[in-house]
Amino acid sequence: MSLNTLLILNIRWIIRDRILQALAAVSLFLIMLVPAISAFSMRQTQELAVTLSLSFVSFTLLIFALSLGSTIVWRDIERRYTYTVLSLPLDRGGYVMAKFLAVALFLVVAAALVGSCSFIAIFISSFKYPSQIPVQWGMIMIAIFMDTLKYMLLAAIAILVTTVSTSFFMPFFTSIAIFMAGSASQEVFEFATSEAGTRVSGVVRLATRVIYYIIPNFSAFNFKLQAVYPIPFDPKQISYVTLYFLVYTALTLSAAVWIFSRRELT
Amino acid sequence: MRVARISFFVALTAYLILILPFTSHLKNRPLQLKVGYVPEAKALKFITADQRYAVADWVILKVLFYFGTLIEKAKGANVYASNPDYPGMFRVLQTGLRLEPYNADAYYFAQAAFTWEVGRYAEVNNMLEYGMKYRTWDSQLPFFAGFNAAYFMKDYKKAAEYMKKAAEIAQEQQFATLAARYFYEAGDTEFGILFIDMMKSSAKDANEKKLYEFRKRALLAVKSIENAVKIYKQRSGMAPLSLDELVSGGYLLAIPRDPYGGKFYLEQDGKVRSTSKLSFAGAKAAAGENQKH
Amino acid sequence: MTFPIEIESLAKTYRGKKRMQVEALRELSLNINQGEVFGFLGPNGAGKSTTIKILMGLISATAGSARLFGTEVRQAAARRNVGYLPENPALYDFLTGREYLSFVGKAFAMTDGAIAERSGVVLEQLQLTDAANRPVRSYSKGMVQRLGLAQTLLHEPELYILDEPMSGLDPIGRSLVKDIIRQLKRQGKTVFFSTHITADVEAVCDRVGVIAKGKLQALDSVDNILRSGVEGYTVQINGGGDLAAHGYTQLEEQGGMREFLVPKDQFNDFIAQVAVEDGKVELIETKRKDLEEFFLEIVKQGNVSA
Repeated sequence: MSLNTLLILNIRWIIRDRILQALAAVSLFLIMLVPAISAFSMRQTQELAVTLSLSFVSFTLLIFALSLGSTIVWRDIERRYTYTVLSLPLDRGGYVMAKFLAVALFLVVAAALVGSCSFIAIFISSFKYPSQIPVQWGMIMIAIFMDTLKYMLLAAIAILVTTVSTSFFMPFFTSIAIFMAGSASQEVFEFATSEAGTRVSGVVRLATRVIYYIIPNFSAFNFKLQAVYPIPFDPKQISYVTLYFLVYTALTLSAAVWIFSRRELT
Repeated sequence: MRVARISFFVALTAYLILILPFTSHLKNRPLQLKVGYVPEAKALKFITADQRYAVADWVILKVLFYFGTLIEKAKGANVYASNPDYPGMFRVLQTGLRLEPYNADAYYFAQAAFTWEVGRYAEVNNMLEYGMKYRTWDSQLPFFAGFNAAYFMKDYKKAAEYMKKAAEIAQEQQFATLAARYFYEAGDTEFGILFIDMMKSSAKDANEKKLYEFRKRALLAVKSIENAVKIYKQRSGMAPLSLDELVSGGYLLAIPRDPYGGKFYLEQDGKVRSTSKLSFAGAKAAAGENQKH
Repeated sequence: MTFPIEIESLAKTYRGKKRMQVEALRELSLNINQGEVFGFLGPNGAGKSTTIKILMGLISATAGSARLFGTEVRQAAARRNVGYLPENPALYDFLTGREYLSFVGKAFAMTDGAIAERSGVVLEQLQLTDAANRPVRSYSKGMVQRLGLAQTLLHEPELYILDEPMSGLDPIGRSLVKDIIRQLKRQGKTVFFSTHITADVEAVCDRVGVIAKGKLQALDSVDNILRSGVEGYTVQINGGGDLAAHGYTQLEEQGGMREFLVPKDQFNDFIAQVAVEDGKVELIETKRKDLEEFFLEIVKQGNVSA
């Protein structure tokens, strides 16, 4: 009941945000540029169109996840809305969960919207210059779905950081740093644990291992290459990654609720 | 109020005066500035996070843009206005491919731009080898490599291997037999023409097509001279000394024009050559030589 | 029996920078009775807001306990029967006034019908009906304060906790708030409000607690304080003998009228003396400290003891 109320409140907040409206418009406009840009390719117009579309979708979701995740709790604290909201008979767990769910829901809607526009863009490009490889619509959908999960997780992490911090910049840049590290961690990890990695000192290798298991592995959510080129992939990876998303997000949100419930709203 | 109005118009005039030289300056930047500084692939991999493929495609696309503008300039004239920075372009392509080894444009472009013009076929073949590991479904890469091995490097054994691979992927035995026939029976020039035709038929970019057009015209010219030399040899039992001899003997109607702007001549063994070395860069160098004299 | 508010040995220590510790609240014990209007009086930084924030579950106490209607303040359920107005409230500005009240009503599990009905009533009561469908973003500071007050009234709770409810309001707004508090009292509701303005307390409160330096310095009914503040009387006499000779202080003489300042404990003797001297008492006025002086004195004492 109260979760529902807070969820509706936060969704209202998000969709009435002028900056987000502008961002959505910009990203839709960029998607519409895809057929024009990919026409510059010499031999792989369709492949380039898919890559660019997925890239725009991913970038749009990244911006939304970061800007919403790192502000949705922070703004309440900064503008002292917390006094009026958290003094209502609502528990803080529900408050944090509603924030996350509103962002997650918004990301799903944005992915669906920008995703369908990119389908149109890809269709136009592939219709004009068909490739040897037929467009793998199913794989593209999987790639967008996985990206959505990825940015939900990033938003959860940003929310976790805001529950600890009082400033805007700290959570924002911490989330970016975690995102970058999480996108590269798999390769660094594989290098450090390979033959070649033995050249690196033991301490560094240990640190790599530790960091690898602590920070989220964002590169695992990347199915873009498989959506563009006919590269074989193991369907098991989808279930693994989905499961990883569920567990890691639950972990992050539990920590966020735990910390925020103890937080002093002075 | 008044000051603001005056200063607005002064600034506007200054802008209008500046914008043309500004634009033309930017247009004539060297590659490093135009394509932009492309960092090490390893660093890029880290910074670009999950945008890696788009960034790689973009970097490669920028090379195509850069090259496209150069060809644009060559419109009408036969000679490049400036020397393209080939090594720079090649480095950027390599960086792009390290980020995204699947990008087909890079391989096609390398094949189109770095073999005939600058003779870096060995490096192109290395690049193609690298690409074959990823684009396992693509018969074009071994086909290119096979062509380079045969046409430029005269390594027929290696070329046969590549062609076999291409045939396997394409599941067209034709490929291999066709290639073999041209290697042994038809000779290099005809093989080159065939290759150019294949490249051209799959090209969609007007600039790229124009490039093949030049090459094909040159090769057809060479072919016509070669034919004349062949007949001359059959009839007189010896190689002609000059092209004029072929024309005066009625073997050739006229000396064909080199589309690259050079002059055709015969080597002592009867091989057809051009002062342009059949490249824009070569034509420019030859022109420079002439001016010095 | 349970009180609307029960506070037992409540303490709060903030950890500041450089390991500085600030004791915002020390050993506060206080019970608020059902149906009373309680004024929580103290200078800025005395610990009023800290106390209220603990009561509303916004911060946690370092020691001691607090309950609202018998429920620990840590639990969200404790706030179910409370209307709370924070100091200078910030309300979600992307909602309209009516939407905001609807959100609050849902949080208190009111039905849609009840929300619609009560919203209309409280908006009218706080003179916000015209602005009800405008976003809060466009409200003036006073309008936001009034909407905040409307929020506390919406679900008709038994207890009202108001942090500086009169601040930021113009005289009309102040009197509106006082009216509302009096009205709540008539309905038998409990009101606990903090202020640093003694006149507000005098105007509406039954009981007052004075807090300074994080400690409760005084706790009494407003009537008692006013009574205990009586220092003496000024008495106007017509006729009579030489009263000044008996040690009484004469303030003024005009015509046959004389005015004397009589300490409280000498009042009976003085009246007897007037009767003996055949004088006539024309007017007696109580001379007392007002609440403000009382307050200032306590705060001064608190400063000395601290």
